[in-house]
Amino acid sequence: MRLLGVFKEDNREFFLLQDEGKFFKSDAQNLKDEFSNYDLIKNRDVSIGSEPVEGEGVFNFRYGPVTAGVKEAGVFNIYTYGERILSVNIDPSYKKRDIERLILKKNIDEGLKFAESVCGNFSVSHSLAFCRALENCAKLDLPEDAVRLRVVALELERLYNHTTVFLKLARGASQNVLTSHLSFVFEELLRINRDFGLSRFLKGVVVPGGVRVNESANFEDLSKRLLSLKDKFEELYEHALKSYNFIDRIHNTAPLDRELALKIGVTGPTLRACGVKEDLRIKEKGYEKLSVVVEEDGDSLARMEVRVKEFLNSTDVIVDNMAKVKSLDKLKGVDLKDLNGEGIGYSESPSGLLVYYVKLNRGILENVYISTPSVFGFKAFSEAFRGFIFTDFSFAFDSFGVHFSDCAR
Amino acid sequence: MVVLYLIGALAGFLNRKLSYFLGLLASLLALYVGVKATFFGFSGTALFHFFDNTTVGINVDKLNGMFLAIASLSFIAVTLFSLDFGELYRKRMAIFLNLSMLGMVLILLAHDGITFLIGWEIMTIFSYLLIVEHKGAYKEAFKFLAFSELSTVLLIIGFLALYISKGNFALSGSTNNLVFVLFTSLAFIIKMGIIPFHTWLKDAHSKAPSNASALLSAPVTLMGVYGLFRVIDLAGYNHLWGIIAVILGSVSAFWGAISAAASKGLKILPAYSTVENNGMILAMLGFASCAHEYSTNSTLFKFAYLTAIVLSLSHTLAKTLLFLSIGQAKEQLDEESIDNVRGIHESVGKIPALGVVISGLSFSAFPLLLGYVAEWMMLESIFQSYQFTSVFNRVITSTGGVLLSLGMGFASFSMIKLIGYSALGFSHGKKAKPMNRVFMHSAELLLIGLIALFSFFAVRLFFGFGYSQFVIGALAVPKGWLIASAKPVFGVISPAFLAIVLAVLFVVPFVIYLKSRATTKRVISWNGGLNLTEEEYFTANAFSFIIEYILRFVYATKEIKDGNRVFVSIRDVFDDVYNYFVGIANRVTYLISKLVMNGKVYFYLSYILTMFVLIFIVFG
Amino acid sequence: MKSWVFYGLSNRLTERFKKKDGKVKGLSPVFRNSLHIFPIDVGNDNELNFEIEALQSAQYNIHRFGIFFTDSPRHADILLILGRCTEKMVSPLKETINQLPSPYGIVVIEGSQPFGIKPKELDLDNVLAYYEQYLSADEVLSVLLNIMEVK
Repeated sequence: MRLLGVFKEDNREFFLLQDEGKFFKSDAQNLKDEFSNYDLIKNRDVSIGSEPVEGEGVFNFRYGPVTAGVKEAGVFNIYTYGERILSVNIDPSYKKRDIERLILKKNIDEGLKFAESVCGNFSVSHSLAFCRALENCAKLDLPEDAVRLRVVALELERLYNHTTVFLKLARGASQNVLTSHLSFVFEELLRINRDFGLSRFLKGVVVPGGVRVNESANFEDLSKRLLSLKDKFEELYEHALKSYNFIDRIHNTAPLDRELALKIGVTGPTLRACGVKEDLRIKEKGYEKLSVVVEEDGDSLARMEVRVKEFLNSTDVIVDNMAKVKSLDKLKGVDLKDLNGEGIGYSESPSGLLVYYVKLNRGILENVYISTPSVFGFKAFSEAFRGFIFTDFSFAFDSFGVHFSDCAR
Repeated sequence: MVVLYLIGALAGFLNRKLSYFLGLLASLLALYVGVKATFFGFSGTALFHFFDNTTVGINVDKLNGMFLAIASLSFIAVTLFSLDFGELYRKRMAIFLNLSMLGMVLILLAHDGITFLIGWEIMTIFSYLLIVEHKGAYKEAFKFLAFSELSTVLLIIGFLALYISKGNFALSGSTNNLVFVLFTSLAFIIKMGIIPFHTWLKDAHSKAPSNASALLSAPVTLMGVYGLFRVIDLAGYNHLWGIIAVILGSVSAFWGAISAAASKGLKILPAYSTVENNGMILAMLGFASCAHEYSTNSTLFKFAYLTAIVLSLSHTLAKTLLFLSIGQAKEQLDEESIDNVRGIHESVGKIPALGVVISGLSFSAFPLLLGYVAEWMMLESIFQSYQFTSVFNRVITSTGGVLLSLGMGFASFSMIKLIGYSALGFSHGKKAKPMNRVFMHSAELLLIGLIALFSFFAVRLFFGFGYSQFVIGALAVPKGWLIASAKPVFGVISPAFLAIVLAVLFVVPFVIYLKSRATTKRVISWNGGLNLTEEEYFTANAFSFIIEYILRFVYATKEIKDGNRVFVSIRDVFDDVYNYFVGIANRVTYLISKLVMNGKVYFYLSYILTMFVLIFIVFG
Repeated sequence: MKSWVFYGLSNRLTERFKKKDGKVKGLSPVFRNSLHIFPIDVGNDNELNFEIEALQSAQYNIHRFGIFFTDSPRHADILLILGRCTEKMVSPLKETINQLPSPYGIVVIEGSQPFGIKPKELDLDNVLAYYEQYLSADEVLSVLLNIMEVK
């Protein structure tokens, strides 16, 4: 059982819990001491970090909020007495947009726009989790084609996100040729997104009860382009593994312990890189070609390898699903104007499990809680980065694939 | 002069200011005598009959005149400084200060071993009392006393040997008594704080009141240097002595420098720097001895000897300045660590900050300052070790040279740390305690001026010291303005011309800068778009952690985590050795006291009886 | 397997770029051949950050136009403000603008998100171009090239 979120409803505290593939909310009263990540989730908007330290000569090497190293607005308070990182405390409040509050009293269409705007590069994951919450509430069943197209969208999102992680690691190690070629793959993937879903970041693709894609898209052509990118990516990966300079920087960097990872509640590639075979997609429809990738070491290299292998696997999943889509008619979605009740929806985002809890009253959002993978990812980073030096920052941080916009909502 | 110091000391019972002022007058007189002896060939002797055919008295010649002049410059600055600084301490400090200076003058002017020892003891005792003036410095002061008395004992043995070989105590003429050379050299080396006898120095110097620290670190250790010069003067150059001196000196310079690089205490760093500088002086003396052994035709031994003198002068001036400036800041801000006095230029004042910068740069061998001339000369001497024919000599001197050069590098590192984190750096916004500062500032300005002037006119000094063969003219530099490190010419430098060239190169861009300053935009330092808060400033510890980590086998670096508390611990391994001995001594004294003072009456009675018997036997 | 050098040389990834014209204010003819840009995220949903990442991809090869991204605002000619501002980012944004050497210009791209403080409410000086919508990488490049061309 995993604690994913803590929220208030009717002045009572509730837990958002996961048990294998089941998600449910539960009264917090007698469960409080059972989960060690309770404090982390409670304080996720204020500070996320490892145990604080003090001592002679210790100072806070603040990184952010405006820096070229981390593009997003956020602050890393790194405590050190010179070189050695003793403690990391992350302040996500600079990016806090308060979406969970702003979304209230909005209707479903507006709510979807807000959900997509939490984190642009996870927009499919967010809108998918949001829509699934609504669909669970309305007990809707989707046509198979819609399911398959959603899988394509989600996996396309995974592709470009995994590419950026690889790209950032390569750039951090000054692998300039590799970086340039990966950036080429990245831009090509964004163009495929535009051709598939009319938006470079696949915004507006997932809608309640259906999908909206480019009707004139030629799936065969897209598949061909994807497969050629896959070949190129694989070639680059093999090439990268032969570069001692590159591997040396990420091997054994910021290793995450399997027990610690489970305790924090990390999911996604970071957890799979610690040797835990957990992926909720495996039981879903449309993932016949999926094989769950697991690595044992838990370091930056393992996280990168998991991502690269997932990239390769995901292209197969996409190509398979594109071939199986029969028609694009009648997928435009369902009107849920007067929906009442509550629902929980999840999606397996590129960086881990993303869950929405939604409560509606006559189609108006009454309560929304968003559990994002980046919260747990930041915590994992702050623990794993201790004891290293600042030069390892980009190798440690970028390998987790976490984002302030995802974390601070 | 002696009388004036005495009056000064006595005046201390009445009035602090008067006492310091008389001390200042006496120091000026000492400077006059010293300069006259050095540059104008003045010499004189005043003797009194002591016992048998032994006379005691004072004597002025070129050698001690030179050191008198050097020391008196430091005395002048310290007394001037104390006119203000002494207000913080009790009246008796003035007495101690005067008497301790008197002791040093006696040492320098001593005609014979007895006067020397009297001066030595006066200096030791009153320096001890000066250290005790600082609250809670008993332990360090005692350590100082213990080592000083050790050197006194060694001196007594040495002088007795002198008496046996020569029939009198006079510190003139010549002798080649090995016992004398060995014991007196060891005594002076201890005083100079050469490794492995340096642990007392950093403790005592860092704990003492700042004017006393300046006195202890500059002139007091200078007495050790003078002693060595005198020993060489008496016993001539000895090859083995030279080899040992090069080894000890270079190791000491290296150790002092790397310890300074890692120290965090505001006054521990300069104290270690003293160890380093005295190491360099010793090494140069040893170098001179080796070179003399190799060939007296070569100018190398004279040049190394001159280098040692210039190093002494440079160290005395810069270290006095450093301790005075740092001391003023320390006292006005009431802080102990380098980190906590950040921004002296804003909180305390521009002049003490400039004092720290100038002295620090001088120790880092920055051009235009005396330290640059001294260390250039040292390197030139080392480079000339190729002249040695014996492989043994070459190996020893070049290895020593490597250590010395490394030491110079680490010294620069430590000085950058000191300057950057104390004098400069972002101010904490801490308020300095108000104090009278006119005299303190004039003392600092005097020393700053001297360091720059002596560099500019270094060549003139060489004439005065009697080494005109190293002053030439070439490469468009007029005759008499170029220092040559050897004859035939090996390396040359002209501090005066360097100063002029740099001034031109600096002044022209500076004028252009001033003209175009209107377009300069002034902003806070860029740090992610936010102002730095107090806890976000890079600390001095963090600055030196990298070398503490890389040289962890030297520093015995340990990164300690105790709950939420984290810190880096480093050790001076020599401290461990001494602590081990102290531990043994403690245990032994404890055992003896338990054995002797066991509280049984009959035991005491028997003890008293035994003592009686012993006394009768001895004196009976 | 070829070494990186040959791998890099044997692939031509750069594309021809056709600039779209648009109305922008000019900065100075000094920047005709070279423009240095510092992007700042003030609270966008990462979409624009990723577009800037894409802009640095091999297809666009912005260096051929003399466009470079800097690591500090002190080296920048143009500040690229991405997104609508969160409350806490207002003061870092102002400080960043303060650090820019003059002459400098500001380009604002608000993006598609429906919340946050609009940068135009912050009274910024020297705004050369202001976009209330989201711009893709090629559109951003067009804007930058237009700024360079204005006399």
